[in-house]
Amino acid sequence: MEKNFMKSSSQKTESRENKAIQIAWYFVWCTFLLAGINSLSSCAKQDGEAAKTEASKENSSKEVVKEKPQYYKVKNVELGASIDAAMAKNGTQIFDVTCTGCHKYDEKYVGPALGDVTKRRTPEYIMNMILDTETMIEKDDTVKCMLQTYLMKMPNMQVDEKDARSVLEHLREVGQKK
Amino acid sequence: MKTKILTGLAALGIGAMVVLITACPSAKNTTADAGDAAQKVYVAPGKQDENYFFASGGFSGQIGVYGIPSGRLLRVIPVFSQDPEKGWGYSEETKPMLTTSQGFIPWDDTHHLQLSMTDGIPDGRWLFVNGNNTPRIARIDLTTFRTAEVIEIPNTAGNHASPFITPNTEYTVAATRFSEPYTFENGDVSIASYKDNFKGALSFIAVDKTSGNMGIKFQILMPGFNYDLSHSGKGVSDGFFFFTCYNSEQANTMLEVNASQKDKDYIAAVNWKKAEEYLAQGKGRKVKAPYMHNTYSDETHTATSETIEDVMTLNPAECPGLVYFMPTPKSPHGCDVDPTGEYIVGGGKLATVIPVFSFSKIQKAIADKSFEGDIAGIPVLNYKAALHGEVEKPGLGPLHTEFDANGNAYTSFFVSSEVVKWNVKDLKVIDRAPTYYSVGHLVVTGGDSKKPWGKYLIAMNKITKDRYLPTGPELTQSAQLFDITGEKMKLLLDFPTIGEPHYAQMCPAEVIKPKSLKTFKLLKNKHPYVTLGEKETRVERKGKEVHVYGTAIRSHFKPDNIEGVKVGDEVYFHVTNLEQDWDVPHGFAVRHNENAELLIMPGETQTLKWVPKKAGMFTIYCTDFCSALHQEMQGYVRVSPANAKVELTSNAAKDKKPQ
Repeated sequence: MEKNFMKSSSQKTESRENKAIQIAWYFVWCTFLLAGINSLSSCAKQDGEAAKTEASKENSSKEVVKEKPQYYKVKNVELGASIDAAMAKNGTQIFDVTCTGCHKYDEKYVGPALGDVTKRRTPEYIMNMILDTETMIEKDDTVKCMLQTYLMKMPNMQVDEKDARSVLEHLREVGQKK
Repeated sequence: MKTKILTGLAALGIGAMVVLITACPSAKNTTADAGDAAQKVYVAPGKQDENYFFASGGFSGQIGVYGIPSGRLLRVIPVFSQDPEKGWGYSEETKPMLTTSQGFIPWDDTHHLQLSMTDGIPDGRWLFVNGNNTPRIARIDLTTFRTAEVIEIPNTAGNHASPFITPNTEYTVAATRFSEPYTFENGDVSIASYKDNFKGALSFIAVDKTSGNMGIKFQILMPGFNYDLSHSGKGVSDGFFFFTCYNSEQANTMLEVNASQKDKDYIAAVNWKKAEEYLAQGKGRKVKAPYMHNTYSDETHTATSETIEDVMTLNPAECPGLVYFMPTPKSPHGCDVDPTGEYIVGGGKLATVIPVFSFSKIQKAIADKSFEGDIAGIPVLNYKAALHGEVEKPGLGPLHTEFDANGNAYTSFFVSSEVVKWNVKDLKVIDRAPTYYSVGHLVVTGGDSKKPWGKYLIAMNKITKDRYLPTGPELTQSAQLFDITGEKMKLLLDFPTIGEPHYAQMCPAEVIKPKSLKTFKLLKNKHPYVTLGEKETRVERKGKEVHVYGTAIRSHFKPDNIEGVKVGDEVYFHVTNLEQDWDVPHGFAVRHNENAELLIMPGETQTLKWVPKKAGMFTIYCTDFCSALHQEMQGYVRVSPANAKVELTSNAAKDKKPQ
C-alpha cells in the first residue's frame, strides 16, 4: 500500500508544472519525514508480508535480519539439523490453542500467514516475537511496519520459553513441508 | 408581660441554637487544612495508592475496594448480589454462588469484613464478609478479588456479629441477631412464647489453612438474646471470642423501648479452645439443619453447590467454662480487643461511658468465682471484678473502637457525631474530631490486628446530607479520612462510597498487591465446555439444547455465523477468551436476551444461556472495548421456527458451514 502510494505521488509531482501543487507536495513529504521516513522506506519492503508469495519467492534471504538487535531478549537459538519430533508435537498443541485465533498457515488472517515464516524470519526474531512481543512492537522496524498493514498489535500470549521453542520447531516442520 | 414573652422567646432561641451547635458541628470545622491535606491525599497520575481499603457495600450486598489516601474506587467485588457489570449471578458458572437452601437469592446485605490473619496480622490471602439477611459468610480470594466461597449459616436470623476471625484464621464466626425458636426446623410457634422457645446460636466456622475452605464446626445454643457484634481475643486472650448482646429483656416487640429497660446487657466471653475439648469428649449434639455450601473453582471456572444436612451443637449448661457473661452498660454494640489482647472495649448505643474489661481480671474473676448470678447455666461475672475501668465523658453513644500501635484507641460516637481518641491504659481522652455526619464504624490501618500500621483512620458516616453535590433524594455514602500520626487527628479527605459501608478493613498495598493475578492460564482451563483454540470451535445440538463452543480474541468471535437455532431451544454460548494478556476481557451479549451479558477474563470460559422466543436474526457482539476493531467484533445467529428444517450449521472450525 505505502509503496504504491509513494510511487504514484512522485510520478504526479514530476508530471505537474503547477508550483502551488509542488509546494503542497513538499509539505506532504515533510509530514512523512516527520512521521519517520525511515520506517516508511523500510515498510515498503514489508509489502511482502501481506502478499507472502512475493516475499518468499523474491530474495527471501535479504529479508532475514543478519545482526541480532540489542533489544532481542533471546540472543541465540540453536537449531538442530533435523526436526525434533517430540518438541514439534508439543509445539503443535501450543500453536493450536494459543496462535490459531489469529494465524493460519497459508493465508492472511488477523495476522500474517505463518506456514513459511521460518523462511522469512530468523529463529531469534520468532522467539522474541512470541516471548517479548511488547518490545518487538515498540522497537523492531519490521514489526512496526507490519502494524501498518495489520492494524492489530500482536498480544503477548504468556507462553514460556520452552513452549515458545516448541512452537518454533512446529513452524520449522510446517515450513519444511512447504 | 411582653418583655417576659420576649425573654422567654430569646431563651428558647438561645436554647435552640445551643442544641443546633451541639448537634451540628460548626462551619469552621467542616474543612480540612486545604494545603497540607491536599498534599497528603494527592496520588499523582500513574502513581498508586499506599493502602487497600475494603468497605462493605451494606445493602448493595457487595464490597467496595478503594485506594487510600486518594479515596479512589478501584473495584466493586460482587458477593451476595447479582452484578450485571461482571455477569455475576447471570452466567451459568456463577449462578450457584447465589443459591441457598431457599433457592436462588440475588440480594443480601453485607456488614463486616475481616482479612485473613497469620499470628494476628493480616496476611493478604482472603477477605471474609457476612450476609446479614440470608445468613451467610463469603470468602474472597485476594489473588482474583472474586468471591471464592459462600457458606450458609443455619439456625441463624440476621447474621450480624460476623465474620470476625481468630488470630490464625482457625475460625470465622457467625451469630444470630434475632433469636428464634430452637426447634429451628419448625418456627411455627406463637411469638408470645419467646421466653420459653427462643434461643440464639453462635457459630464457629473452621477455615482450612491451605485452601481457605469453610465448614461449620459447631454452634453454641445461647439464651434468647440478640447477639450483636464480636471480635476474637488475641495475644494473652487468644482462645477466647467476645460477643456483645442486647435485649436480655427478651422483648419481642418495640425493642427500641422494651429492650432498653435494663441498665446492662452482656458481653459473652466464649472459650473456643474449651469447645474443641468438649467436642472431642463427644459433648456435641447433631441437629438437622440443611444449608448450602457453594465453592467457585478457578480451574473449572465454575461454581458448585452442595447441601449439608446437619450441624453440631453445644449446650453451655452442659459445658462448664465454655461461656461467661460480662455485664455491659446500655445496649452494647461494638466489641473490640486491643492489640495486646488484654483489653476488651464494649460499645453502648445509649451509653455515656466506655467500659474497658481486662482479660487478666476476667481470668481472676472466673478463678475467684466472682459471679453476680447465672443465666441458663452461664455464670455472670461481677462487673467491677472484670472491669479495667471506664472512659468517662467520652461522648454520646460509643459504637466501635480501633487501635493504633502506640496504645491509643479511637472510638466512634454516633449520637454526638465524632471520633474520640483515648489512651487504653489510663482511659484519658486525648482528642476528639467531629464527623459529617453521625459516624457508624471506623477503621484504622490494621486497627483490629496485633500490629496496627496506624497512620490513617477512616470514619464511615451514616448521614451524608450536604457533603457532596446533591443527586436527588438518594445520596452517596460519606467516608472521611483522618491522619492519625500526630497527637491530634487531622481531617484530610471526604470521599464517596457505595452502598452503606459498615465495617471495613485497611492494610498496606504491599500485603496484597504482589499476589494479584493477571490472567488465567488458558492451558490450565479445565472448564467442561472449554474451547482450547479456534480449531476446536463447534456447535452441537443435544435435543433442545444447543451448545456453542466459541472463542473470543481481538477482535472476533468464532463462530460468528450460526444457523439452525430454533424457537424454544436452550442455547448455551460457552465463550472462551483466548487472550493471555493482562486486562483484555471480552464481553458477550445477545440481542433481546433476558439474561445479562458475560464478561470473560483472559483464559476463562463463561456461559450465557439464551432461549430465543421468536424467529429472526439475532446479533451478538463484544461489549468490552478490546481493540481498534472492537466494533467489528460481532456476528449473527439465525433463529428459525420450532418446526423448521434448517440444519444446525456455523462457521466454526469443526462445523459444516452455512450454505
